[in-house]
Amino acid sequence: MIGFLEVIDRAMAGRHCSETEFDMEVVVPKIQEVVAKYMIKYDPDNPVPADDDLADRVFQAGLELYRDVGTYCPDTERIIRFSEEELREALAEAPSAPVFGEGKDAKTLVARKPESNALPWCFIGAGGAAVSNEELYASIMEAYASFLPLADSITAPTIASVNGRTVRAGSPLEVMAAIRATVLAREALQRGGRPGLPIMNCIASAGSDTAKIAGSQFGLRPSDGWLIGATAELKLEFQRFNEIAFVTALGGHVNAETAPILGGYCGGPEGVAVTNVAYHLSCIIAMRGSSQLTFPIHFKYGCTTTRDVTWAVSVSSQAISRNSHFPFFILSYTAAGPMTEMCLYEIASAITASVASGASIEFGGVAKATRVDHFTPMEPRLASEVAHAAVRMTRKEANEIVKKLLQRYEGNFDSPPVGKKYEECWDIHRKTPNEDYVNLYKRVKTELSELGIQF
Amino acid sequence: MITTRILEDLKNSIVELDEKKAVKAARELISQGMDPLQGIEKGLSMGMVIIGDKFNRMECYLPELIRASNTFNAAIKILEPEIIKQGKQRTRRGVVVLGTVKGDIHRIGKDILAMLMKTRGFEVYNLGEDVAMSTFVNKAVEYNADIIGMSSLLTTTMPAQKDVIDLLKEKGLRDRHIVMVGGGPVSAEWAREISADAYAETAEEAVQMAVEMVSGEKVAGSSS
Repeated sequence: MIGFLEVIDRAMAGRHCSETEFDMEVVVPKIQEVVAKYMIKYDPDNPVPADDDLADRVFQAGLELYRDVGTYCPDTERIIRFSEEELREALAEAPSAPVFGEGKDAKTLVARKPESNALPWCFIGAGGAAVSNEELYASIMEAYASFLPLADSITAPTIASVNGRTVRAGSPLEVMAAIRATVLAREALQRGGRPGLPIMNCIASAGSDTAKIAGSQFGLRPSDGWLIGATAELKLEFQRFNEIAFVTALGGHVNAETAPILGGYCGGPEGVAVTNVAYHLSCIIAMRGSSQLTFPIHFKYGCTTTRDVTWAVSVSSQAISRNSHFPFFILSYTAAGPMTEMCLYEIASAITASVASGASIEFGGVAKATRVDHFTPMEPRLASEVAHAAVRMTRKEANEIVKKLLQRYEGNFDSPPVGKKYEECWDIHRKTPNEDYVNLYKRVKTELSELGIQF
Repeated sequence: MITTRILEDLKNSIVELDEKKAVKAARELISQGMDPLQGIEKGLSMGMVIIGDKFNRMECYLPELIRASNTFNAAIKILEPEIIKQGKQRTRRGVVVLGTVKGDIHRIGKDILAMLMKTRGFEVYNLGEDVAMSTFVNKAVEYNADIIGMSSLLTTTMPAQKDVIDLLKEKGLRDRHIVMVGGGPVSAEWAREISADAYAETAEEAVQMAVEMVSGEKVAGSSS
């Protein structure tokens, strides 16, 4: 695979192009071209299709898309392009078995296939959603360690304030929050009894390269995962390349994050599916990842659990997992909030579709990951249980389950229930859910069993 | 009737995203001695409304909104000199300056809002991303904006929305502009806390709210 310095050289010397031109004259026409050329058609009646040929066409379309479009660097206003030969070489040489974590929590992340017997990696927690203060942050991180037995790695929240002061992007408070998040997370995981668990969204509280690198000096390990995110669509700023340069020199893992937007430049579900594949290649060669974390998301509803996004997730997961050994996660965002029936149905639907389609999971964003303190360890717990239950499930079985679940919640996207805050449905001292939430969880699990998800 | 057909062509050029058709119909309208303002209001704008509605139903997406806007602009380039020549003025629903706040580079949601605003007849100045608070204020004054729209996709960039409102107050300009805020983590509670005039959860709601506020149907300070 070509080296990182070559990528940077191309960011400096690639074809010059304005950002608007890249969006509208480069990305959009090529997406539309490959969707038509490879005859990719959204089928709302089958949100989890079982069509290997469709999956492989989506992969070819994504490969052609990335070969012809590349990655845009807004700082230099230049396009970083790779030849098909370079992309195929990158696919062949991509990491296939990175090891995350320490001690008895150390584990190898391996790529799965559709309908696989292999357990999905459960990367679970808050999905970067914001928690209001350090005390709640420490409390919930400890609960992740003690309440999530199926967790293979943790996704931490973002701290919204330090010492009572609201964190502002690019300010010293952001650097302090990133440092505080690292220190508290390590201590909380130790207190929860799993000190070796890797944190794989390092560092959620850091928006800038400065804060991410500074925060990492206070307890992150090379065996954690540095979450470095591309900008939609197919863009990478120098700040992200700075982070990649740092993590690469450290011998750490880049967990390359991507989020194609349904309704944006990708267009509809077909465009999202092929762009997700293009991102997969970008995560290997441009972002130097050890894994891809991706969450195709609905522009209008801000979640990943709609029928059209589910189809795009399923098809692109099948495309990637059938044609690449580079591990990837699907991150799910629910529209509804904690302690609501809708939220639990959304989780079951999204996770079933992802796992049967060959993905590992990150969960996740509850209440769109936009409301402060609106998440608890209960939602990732259910997600991990569904993920394990969906192992060996065929795509046809998953399709029938997902269709039934979608019918239960998809009429509520215009005004999904916000649910309760962490402290309202969780005992923050004992680190356990309240009785009402336990009862709801048990009832929904019984319903899910009746639908065919065997726990 | 030729007048009806030309207006229909202008409307359809937007729906079909056909710049050439828009230009041809605009030229024909002028050569027929029709009122160019009628061409905008009963032709092009009707098409923009249809495209906006299609987007709200997710029957088309951002690229189509942008192409519709480009098509609209192509026809306006033909019609505008004629409007000036006739000593008339285009009616606009209102003027909006909008952008993503300082420290935040998220773009797509804000761009979609800008396009949807255009479909409803607003004159929109998209200031881009990572916009400094003084830029919001200066551009609002320069364009005599009715509305300042601020998007924030991160909890850590939400305070920049408050910074802009505080600067408007400092400069004695707060009452001149309606301030709307939005973005993933932004809420009605936050809007109230920082004294914004309106918050909308979706772009569709934001446009509806903007229409109501500039027409005086909705009182500033309310939210969805």
